[in-house]
Amino acid sequence: MQRIVFASGKGGTGKTTLTALTARLLADGGEHLALADCDVEAANLPIALRAEVVSSEPFAGGSKAVIDAEACRGCGACALACRFGALGPSADYFRAQTYELDPWACEGCAACVSACRYGAITMVASQAGEVMAAETAPGPMAFGRLAPGEDLSGKLVTEVRRKTDELAEARGIERMWIDGPPGVGCPAIAAITGTDLVVGVTEPTLSGEHDLMRLVTLARRFKIPVAVVLNKADLSESGARRLRERIAAEGLELIGEIPYDPAVAVMPGLLARGELTAYPEGPGMDAIRSIAAWLAERRSARG
Amino acid sequence: MPGSTPHIGRLTVAVASGKGGTGKTLVATNLAVAAARAGSPAALVDCDADAPNDALFLAPEAPQVSAVDVPLPVVDESACTLCGACRTQCAYGAIRILGGRVIVFPEMCHNCGACVKVCRPGALREQPRRVGEVEWGRVSGEITGPAGVDVITGRLDIGEVKTPTVIRAARKRAEILGRTLTVLDSPPGVACAAVAAMRGADVLVLVTEPTPFGLHDLELAAGLGREMGIPLGIVINRDTGGSSDVDEFAVREGIPLLARIPFDRRVAEVYAGGGLVIDEHPEGGRWFEALWDAVRALAEGEA
Repeated sequence: MQRIVFASGKGGTGKTTLTALTARLLADGGEHLALADCDVEAANLPIALRAEVVSSEPFAGGSKAVIDAEACRGCGACALACRFGALGPSADYFRAQTYELDPWACEGCAACVSACRYGAITMVASQAGEVMAAETAPGPMAFGRLAPGEDLSGKLVTEVRRKTDELAEARGIERMWIDGPPGVGCPAIAAITGTDLVVGVTEPTLSGEHDLMRLVTLARRFKIPVAVVLNKADLSESGARRLRERIAAEGLELIGEIPYDPAVAVMPGLLARGELTAYPEGPGMDAIRSIAAWLAERRSARG
Repeated sequence: MPGSTPHIGRLTVAVASGKGGTGKTLVATNLAVAAARAGSPAALVDCDADAPNDALFLAPEAPQVSAVDVPLPVVDESACTLCGACRTQCAYGAIRILGGRVIVFPEMCHNCGACVKVCRPGALREQPRRVGEVEWGRVSGEITGPAGVDVITGRLDIGEVKTPTVIRAARKRAEILGRTLTVLDSPPGVACAAVAAMRGADVLVLVTEPTPFGLHDLELAAGLGREMGIPLGIVINRDTGGSSDVDEFAVREGIPLLARIPFDRRVAEVYAGGGLVIDEHPEGGRWFEALWDAVRALAEGEA
């Protein structure tokens, strides 16, 4: 199994569009692949590939504290035990003499439960999201949906990866492409762990360069090679030149430069509405074709 | 928030989006400068600790840096009786007993301290572990005018996962500075990191683009903002003119449209080079002065 993850550090550089288009081009050539959308906070690959969900599994969350206002004496021992600032006197404390919980701050550690002498606090389990299995034109896909505000996005990414492995194995598919989340934190680490190649999708902006280098540092920790795609390459000549020099200096491979092309920019919308009848011809699409070919080659090169 | 008192005359504005790369940093940096020039001393907090970029546009002079540490439990094996109370207490599965030893997994630990409290032999104590840093300083008054902008950057160490902890530390620094206006440049997504950035804000500015991905992720972010009870408004970036699905969504949901920034190559070029659109684009001043007025109106209307 070969696993390629499209990542970027910075959001909005074109990860999802590139994943969707290159996967479609491969499928057009008769090769199917398994897909994972590991941006479980805002999954867009299912939209771009018009995924049809075939099944879903609940993803169990942690629990959150609940205070029984009847039993609470307002002593505040819970607030002293809580390190997340989730507990405090209620708005009408002088009348009600109770404490209350801010569920957005609670991390479910239960330190308050042991601290409460009146047994007024219990932990209640929550459902943190879902893992979906779906069908798309290029092949089976798994993606996640995290309940808003949950703190388990990395764990859900790992579940999406597991589900994708399962879907690939069931069909004997040997190639998996992963649409990664932005950032370099817990969900990004879960998305790149155990992959063979990180495709760093960047743009010639200061932010794009800065965030790409953070991603490269992370990938090196995991000893995963990074290949770079420079998207919107003609947006800034000086920015592109600086990035090319940086990529060369870091010993990274630049596998394609996609010029800004309005015909490509509208493709996510066309794909999402099922209105893409033919690929546009032009410099943008040519660059994407050559990136798809490079990625297709890569597996055969590794045997 | 329980236990907090509103600061009279102070305003906290979170700039968020769901989808990455929609223009949060563009809006947050230029908004902070527009507000300062209109006389409000501002603190701009870069809460995108995975990929912080605000300081590329507004570099503080002589910045100060402090480390962000978390308390990590360590085991004194000579005192440990292997009773397993810490493992039972840990809500995160971060403590295991393997080969006759208590093992703590730092990346799973939430640093809640509950294990230390239940350890009867006193074999657990906490040691600081660095997970990131906060950098802060004042931007030159030549750029911002006499009211001034302080830029505070939360930066996660590469390979670490405690993004929300770093965000909270950066916000704490802003609180200490105590400026009239705090602008929180939030990370993409709708999970714990976004919540850590948005929690307690008076107003939520959601930056989106008129694409299917932008709309989908805007719906998620608006849902989160509403659940958190924060008054919200929308900025449409890369607006191509005419009424989009985003406009329809705003009307249907009764969410005010605060500003439109047109799809304009010059905006992208200024951003690419790390410039401020408010100064380097002929329309920039007008856009962000109007946005600052709209944000204040939203805050006052809901107060």
